[in-house]
Amino acid sequence: MPYTTGMDPKGPIPVSLFFTCLADAFSPGVGFATVKVLERFGAEVRVPLSQTCCGQPAYNSGNRKEARAMARKFLLSFPGEGYIVTPSGSCAAMVRHGYPVLFRDEPRTLALAHAVGERIYELSQFLVDVLGVTDPKSDFRGKVTYHDSCHLRRGLGVVEAPRKLLRAVPGVEFVEMEEADRCCGFGGVFSIKYPQISCRMTERKIERILATGASYVTSGDLGCLMNIGGMLSRQGYPVKAIHLAEILAGESSGAPAAAGSPGEGRS
Amino acid sequence: MEPGAKAFPRNARKALSDPALQAALGRTTGRFLDHRAAAVAAFPEFEATRERASAIKLEALSRLDVHLSRFIEEAEKRGAVVHVAKGPVQARGIAAQIAREEGVALAVKSKSMVSEEISFNAALAEAGLEVVESDLGEFILQLAGEPPSHIIAPAVHKSRAEISELFSRRLGAPPTDSIPELVAIARRHLREKFLSAGMGVSGANFLVADTGSVVLVTNEGNGRMGTILPRVHLAVAGIEKVIPRMADLPAFLRLLPRSASGQILSSYVSILTGTRQAGDAEGPERMHILLVDCGRSAILEGKYREVLKCIRCGACLNSCPVYQSVGGHAYGWVYSGPIGAVLTPLLIGLSEAAPLPDASTLCGACAEVCPVKIPLPDFLLELRADAREQGLKTPGEIAGMKGYAGVMKRAGLLEAVERIAGVLVQFFTKGKPVEGLPHPFSGWTERRDFPAVAIRPFRKLWKARRGVRE
Amino acid sequence: MTPTDERELLLRRVRSAVGKHGAEAGGAAPAEGARNPLAEDERLDLFERMFLSAGGVIFRGPMEKVMSDLGEILRTEGVAALFFPEDDASAREIAEALVPFGPFHLTTGAEVRGGSPAVTAGFRSAEAGIAETGTVVETSAGGRTLLPGLLADVHVSLLPASSVVERMDEALAALAAGPPRNISFLSGPSKSADIEQTLAVGAHGPRKVIVLLV
Repeated sequence: MPYTTGMDPKGPIPVSLFFTCLADAFSPGVGFATVKVLERFGAEVRVPLSQTCCGQPAYNSGNRKEARAMARKFLLSFPGEGYIVTPSGSCAAMVRHGYPVLFRDEPRTLALAHAVGERIYELSQFLVDVLGVTDPKSDFRGKVTYHDSCHLRRGLGVVEAPRKLLRAVPGVEFVEMEEADRCCGFGGVFSIKYPQISCRMTERKIERILATGASYVTSGDLGCLMNIGGMLSRQGYPVKAIHLAEILAGESSGAPAAAGSPGEGRS
Repeated sequence: MEPGAKAFPRNARKALSDPALQAALGRTTGRFLDHRAAAVAAFPEFEATRERASAIKLEALSRLDVHLSRFIEEAEKRGAVVHVAKGPVQARGIAAQIAREEGVALAVKSKSMVSEEISFNAALAEAGLEVVESDLGEFILQLAGEPPSHIIAPAVHKSRAEISELFSRRLGAPPTDSIPELVAIARRHLREKFLSAGMGVSGANFLVADTGSVVLVTNEGNGRMGTILPRVHLAVAGIEKVIPRMADLPAFLRLLPRSASGQILSSYVSILTGTRQAGDAEGPERMHILLVDCGRSAILEGKYREVLKCIRCGACLNSCPVYQSVGGHAYGWVYSGPIGAVLTPLLIGLSEAAPLPDASTLCGACAEVCPVKIPLPDFLLELRADAREQGLKTPGEIAGMKGYAGVMKRAGLLEAVERIAGVLVQFFTKGKPVEGLPHPFSGWTERRDFPAVAIRPFRKLWKARRGVRE
Repeated sequence: MTPTDERELLLRRVRSAVGKHGAEAGGAAPAEGARNPLAEDERLDLFERMFLSAGGVIFRGPMEKVMSDLGEILRTEGVAALFFPEDDASAREIAEALVPFGPFHLTTGAEVRGGSPAVTAGFRSAEAGIAETGTVVETSAGGRTLLPGLLADVHVSLLPASSVVERMDEALAALAAGPPRNISFLSGPSKSADIEQTLAVGAHGPRKVIVLLV
C-alpha cells in the first residue's frame, strides 16, 4: 500500500531527496540525476541539507549506539510529510526495516521511525509504484545489464520496477545477466573484514556481467556499483558501472568513460 | 584447516586457494540450488506449507515443556527408554553407559548432526565400541578422519579419485574411477556391518509428541537398516526436534526434501515408535532415546528462539555466496553456512565464534530459501550487536565507528571532512580511482579500485546550484 | 543424579525458558485447509506419475503381460533368487508365477538376512500408497516383515489400487492411533549422491523398486 501524502492530488508531488552519503562524497552526479528524473515526472524536490548518513554501516556492524545517533539525526532531517526518495535500495531498507529494530525499546521514536519508514522509497520503486511511470523519457543509449542490489530486491521486494524502466528506454538494449540476484560481495563492512571472500564473489559477478557483452552494468545502489566498478576498472574491462538514476536521467550517454569513476562532480 | 570457529578468517583464505574444494563447491551448491528451485516452482503450495510449518514449530517451541513431556510419556509407554543430557559430557556418558549395559561391540550409525556436537563417536570408541558411520558420505569421512562439511552432503569436498584411493588404502578395494563401483564397495562393506551390529544409532529429523515416534528421512536406506536389523536402537536428538502431532509431519516432509535436494520426497521415511511388539518379525528389542539439551533451553529463553525451528535442510548453505566460496570446514565447527554463523555462537558462545556472524554480506538469500522462515540475517545483525555489548569488537572498529558517527552528527562537519578528504585524495590520485587504501582497508584495494572522493560533494554543488548561502 | 531428576531438571529449564516469552508465544498452528479430493483414476494417475519421477517402475494392467515384462526386468538386473514373507499369500503367488520366466529360484528371508550373496528380488504386499509423493507404505503391523524392501537388490511391492490415498495426511491418520514399531515410506530406489553429486542407486537398499498396482 503506497504511502499517501494527504495533499492535493492534482498539485505538485512533494518529494524530499535523501541523496545518501555515498552519492554525496563519491558520485554527486547520481544525486543530480535523481533530481532530474523526479522533476521530469512532476515532483517538487526539496533537498534537506542537514541530512548526513542513515547509519547503516554502524547498524550492520553491530554498533547500534552509533547507528541510533545517526538514525535520530536522519529522522530529524526529514520531518513532516511528503515522500522521501533515495537512489539507494539499501538506505531505504535501512530506514524502513532497520530503524524499527534500533528503536524497539523507545516507543516514541519507534512511532516516528515507522512514520518516516512509510514515506521512504527507492527511486525506481517510487517511479513505477507511486507515480506509475511507464516511459522514463530517457535518451540514454547503450547495451545495459542490471545487477539486483540485495537490499533493494530482498529488503524492499523491488524486482521488476528497475527492469521495466530500463526496457522502456528506446536507446537501451537491456540484457539480463545470469545470477543477477546474486550478491556482488560488497556487504559494506564485510568487504573490509573479509576482502578475499568479497573479491571471490565480485569476480563471479564480473564473469556474469562480461558474459552479457553489455557496455554498462547498472544497479540501484552505489555500494554495489563502487565494488563492481572498482574491480572492472582494476582489471581494465571496457564495461562501465553506472547508477540507474543516471541512465534514467539520460546522462553519461555515449562511449564508456574511464571505468570505475561513476558520476560527475570531479572537476 | 584449523578446528574452531575462531580460525574462520584463516581457514576461509585457505579454502579460497584450494582449487579442488572450489570445484566441488561450485558443482554441489549449484546443483542443489537448481533442483530446489525447480521443485519449489512445481509445488504451488510451497509458500502456504512454509507458513504452516513455521507456525507449527513456533507452537511446539512455545509449549516445548508440554510437548517434550508428552513425547517422553508416549515413547516410554511403547517400550522406549528416554534419557536426558544437559551437556555434551553427560550425553557422552549416557551413550557409553547404554552401549556397555547393552553389551554392544559394534554399532552402525546413520547421519546425525547433534552427535557431531557431542563427539558421540569418540565417546563410544572410548567405551571400547566400534562405531561405523553408514551414510556413504559420513563413511568416507570416517575413513579419512575428517568432519563433515555440509549438512546433507557431508563429503562434497572429496573427489572420486580421493575416495578410490581411500577405499583401496583402508578397505583393500581395487582402485576405480567408477562412482557406481565405489558405491558398491561401500555397500558390500557396510552390509556386513549392518547384519552383525548389536546397535543401530540414529539421529532424528522429527520427534512426534502425540505418538512418541522418532522420524528419520534418508535416501540411502541406511537409517532404515540400522533401526530394523540390530537388537538395540539408540536415537540421539536435540530437544527442539519435537513436533506436537503426527498430523503435523506431512508439512515438514513436503518441505525438507524439496529444500534440501529438490526431491519431492526422500527415498525413505521411517517412523519408528517404541520397541518391537509381540509377534513382530523384526525390529529392535530395546530402544533408547537420548534427548540432548546442549544449550538449546538457553536459546529457547532469548531473542534467538526461532533458530530452533531449523530442520537442517541445508538450503541456506547452498544459497549463501559466502558458503559457496569457502565451504563448510572453514566454519570450524559442526554447523556451517548462515545457520552455522547463527547457531554456533549460540551453542558454544559468541566469544568462541566471534568471526562467524561477520562472515555474511546480509544479502538475504538464506532467508529467502529457509523452509521454516528463520530470520537469519536479522539474527546475524543481533549477534553483531551482542558482540559489541560483550566487548568482542576491536578497539579500532569501535573508535572508527565513534569517529564516523561523530562526523555524521553535523552536516557542516561532514562537509568539512569531505573537503579535506577530496583535496587529499585528488592530490594523490589526480582524479583516478584509488589503488591502495591504508590498513585496515587495504584488503579492499588488493584486487579492486576504490573511487576517489569528489572534490565538490553533492551538498556543496546543490547549494551552489540553488544559490543557497553557506 | 538419577535419570528422572535430570529429566525433571530439563523440563523445569524448558518451562522457565518458555515462560519468558509469555504473550508473544506461538498459538496452535492452523490446520491444513480443506481440499477437493481427486477422483480415483486421477489419484492413481498421480501416483504413477510421482512414483515414476522418483525413479520407480510401475505396472498396471493384465497380469499375464505384467509377468513376462517383470521377468525380463529381473533377468536384466541379474536377479537369481526370489523371496517373500511366509504369510504373504499374494507375494508368494507372484513370486512363484515368475519362476518360469527366468532362471530364478525361491529363497527365504532368513537366508537373505544371513548375507546370501545371490542377487535377490524381494516381494511384499504394501499397506498403502500415497499419490502426492509416489510413495509405497510398508509397516511392521501384524507381525509382517520389512526385509523384502530392505535387504533385496530389487523390491517388488504389490499395491492394491484401493489402498492408494491422495495425501500423506490420510495415510498417517490411518496409522497414528496405534502406530506399529516401523512405518516405512518408500519412494523410489535406495540412492546416494554423496560422491561428486552423482546419483548412484543401491546405496544400501534396493537399486530398483517396482510397484504392481493390483
